[in-house]
Amino acid sequence: MSPSVVAPEVAFELEESIRWHGTHSLGRSWNSLTPYGRFTAVALAVRDRMMDRLLETEERYARNQAKRVYYLSIEYLIGQSLGANLRSLGLYPACAHALKSLGSSLPEIEAVEPDAALGNGGLGRLAACFLDSLATLNIPGNGYGINYEFGLFKQQIDNGEQHELPDNWQALGTPWLIARSDEVCMVPIYGRIEHSVDRRGEYNPMWMDWKALIGLPYDMLIPGYGGRTVNFLRLYSARASREFDMRIFNDGDYLKAVEEKIQSEMISKVLYPSDAVLGGRELRLAQEYFLVSCSIRDIVRRYEKDHGNFHEFSSKVAIQLNDTHPVLAVVELMRVLIDEKDLSWDEAWEITQATFGYTNHTLSEEALERWPVSLLNRVLPRHLQLIQEINRRFLEHLTRIFPGDATRARRLTLVDESEPAHQVRMVNLAVVGSHSINGVSPIHSHLLSTALLSDFHQLWPERFNNKTNGISPRRWLLHANPALAQLVSASIGQGWITDLNELRRLDPLAEDASFRTAFRDVKRHNKACLGAYVKDLLHETLDPESLFDVQIKRIHAYKRQLLNVLHIVHEYLGVVEDGTIPLCPRTYILAGKAAPGYWLAKQIIKLIHNVSEVINTDPRSRSLMKVVFIPDYRVSVAEKIIPAADLSEQISTAGKEASGTGNMKQALNGAVMIGTYDGTNLDICRAVGEENAFLFGLQAEAARALWAQKSYRPQEICDRDARVARVVDALRSGLLCRHEPGFCAWVLGLLLDSADEYLHLGDLPAYLDAQAAVSAAFVDRERWTRMSIHNVARIGDFSSDRAIREYAEQIWNVEGI
Amino acid sequence: MDIPVEISHGVTFAEVPVKELDASNAGDLKAAMTPILERSAKVVLDLRQMQFVDSSGLGAILSCLRQAAARSGDLKLCSMSRQVRTAFELVRMHRVFDIFETRDDAMHAFNS
Repeated sequence: MSPSVVAPEVAFELEESIRWHGTHSLGRSWNSLTPYGRFTAVALAVRDRMMDRLLETEERYARNQAKRVYYLSIEYLIGQSLGANLRSLGLYPACAHALKSLGSSLPEIEAVEPDAALGNGGLGRLAACFLDSLATLNIPGNGYGINYEFGLFKQQIDNGEQHELPDNWQALGTPWLIARSDEVCMVPIYGRIEHSVDRRGEYNPMWMDWKALIGLPYDMLIPGYGGRTVNFLRLYSARASREFDMRIFNDGDYLKAVEEKIQSEMISKVLYPSDAVLGGRELRLAQEYFLVSCSIRDIVRRYEKDHGNFHEFSSKVAIQLNDTHPVLAVVELMRVLIDEKDLSWDEAWEITQATFGYTNHTLSEEALERWPVSLLNRVLPRHLQLIQEINRRFLEHLTRIFPGDATRARRLTLVDESEPAHQVRMVNLAVVGSHSINGVSPIHSHLLSTALLSDFHQLWPERFNNKTNGISPRRWLLHANPALAQLVSASIGQGWITDLNELRRLDPLAEDASFRTAFRDVKRHNKACLGAYVKDLLHETLDPESLFDVQIKRIHAYKRQLLNVLHIVHEYLGVVEDGTIPLCPRTYILAGKAAPGYWLAKQIIKLIHNVSEVINTDPRSRSLMKVVFIPDYRVSVAEKIIPAADLSEQISTAGKEASGTGNMKQALNGAVMIGTYDGTNLDICRAVGEENAFLFGLQAEAARALWAQKSYRPQEICDRDARVARVVDALRSGLLCRHEPGFCAWVLGLLLDSADEYLHLGDLPAYLDAQAAVSAAFVDRERWTRMSIHNVARIGDFSSDRAIREYAEQIWNVEGI
Repeated sequence: MDIPVEISHGVTFAEVPVKELDASNAGDLKAAMTPILERSAKVVLDLRQMQFVDSSGLGAILSCLRQAAARSGDLKLCSMSRQVRTAFELVRMHRVFDIFETRDDAMHAFNS
């Protein structure tokens, strides 16, 4: 049945179910429910339907004695679930119909749902897309994470400055989380090692005087497309081990008891923003360990239900580590197998290595996790012992292969003793403890093997592989862009929803004038929808005929929002100083959050607002260009912006972005990319055709050489290129900081510093040239539409379904059941 | 803490009389066990009532073993629930104790 056809009995049942939950779960008639109450009633009705499928799915997995995949991630950027779940279950039209009968509307109800923002950006969103694909491919795969009470902060802009507000996303309760209080687990933490001998006289370290936390699991159901399979994401909340420490309570120190309870529960209280200085943060270490300890205990418990020993563990369990945050899982599994299950070290190590796969997400040395030995010793004394033993055995192995090579050993050791405060290198632990190490784009994987982890690659080349990231077609086209999804389905059928390469069949339609017209109509409709949102939010009017030039991502120096601003200033100066009329009017749309402690990123937001104020109020420019910063960027906002984008800005410094997925999302929605040779930009460009994207700037090797050889000379670039000089002069003149003289000093300092590792001016001339080419292409609407259609048609390889199939076949050895 | 004691075939059986052994009563157990361990070299601690033990409780039981060993005696454990066994395994204490399913098993181990 076509998804737009409504079976009356399905709609009626759903309506009854919604009413029932209003009355029996919430104690209100439909008409007296608050908007959030109505959302909750609808979500509970949908959840009921997923529960049935969940039980069926679990039975099917058990019947087939299926190998299971567990995805461990400290972040999941889920966004809203109602619309996406309804579409996956094929119930969207029926629900819309049911709500119409109830005198309401589905979009209204959907808008009430708060985003589950349990992540900062790409890493967390990737995890969410992967869960969608696991379920759609019928793979027995569950995620494990933390049920943060406060998700990523809400961003409020006052006077151009970012302010952070807490995101208490569960304040009104969330219908998607199902408490599993019968599966709580106890998590020991802190304490000391008591060195003793066992009954046989062998060394027996005992972990004594620990404090106990309780991990309370909540399951979020993840339906695959079509609803045959429903997997779950298990999120843990920390609870104090006893509601009150009775001894303290009895002694009358009630406040101390409450304080200790609060301290224990802090562990799942808040998501750390990225770019926060995490090294040495005890609470962050406790968070990572809490996730790991709960997950491993749950995984082992599940395995032991069907198995009497651990011989088959790695053939029944695969665990994927999403970056190094959950890498203590390697140590925790070793601890469980050795300490609790009495396996020998060699047996336990073989199982552990065969079980874990590790995905690296960064090439930046500074971003690699390290934990001080002293902190580990205090928080996790037994784990530190095990890390030291893993390291001792690893270094012995190294010495056998490279005898006498002490320098190599110092580079590879898990415990860095070069600093006075010894540190454990978590990336080295991940590599040593896993049978597979993957990067997330070809260039990133290449750089891992040849630079960051080259010594390890030399040691174990067979462990290294690439798994290019992907995005969910359900979330990022079917759900985010229903107008385009409908056009695509009407043209080539619905096969693309689960096989994104089917989109290739759109390719010839780029030459079909009527399809191009329909395609343009969809884009215009989406631009108008975004315009309405912006009008409502910011009281700014957007011209849907203008080129929507979009850069939406975390604000960070390496992502180079500043480079975008320099181009905007260049265009503005052309208008006001040269009287140039741009080839096409542009609307520059930016959005993203700056980490609260990241001064530079916050200054960039302020600069964007300054530039916006100047340009949007200048009568000479305001009909030709507009700059809009959309506040509080999150998944649900991305779903509004991306379908409306004409131009996708992917302009990070080459060699800095591991993959990026915003580039894929925008291409899937018909935006043409202007991008650097970074992450997957080149791969996308090759896929969609070089003539359908605008690549520019330095390549990663050249950028690295400039940096390494200290041969970057921004002032010389200024001297050589009048366009660059004019932009720099404008910043210096105070043109862009009318109300705050001197505000732009930091920009000049950064741009003209030969130590600017992001090479802003190094890429600016090429960027300006590429932008000129963009404008020339956009004014030819037919040409641009063709380019846009080719982007959609040829992006199929960047589906998360493809990525998950590769993980399943090449790393996990699992299949759909 | 009032610990029920039985003596059979030269072995003293002491039963921990609480469901939960934690910071609130671990000291009481140690104190109550001291005279028992002083009187007998062969002691079996019966944990059948215990459903929960925290690190303080584990510490108290370990301390009893050390008291017994200091007097050249021994302390064995029996009738341990799954939850308590898990806590012992967690800290590797199951390796320093002889642990038996039943009192009879423990008694035979002492007398064999």
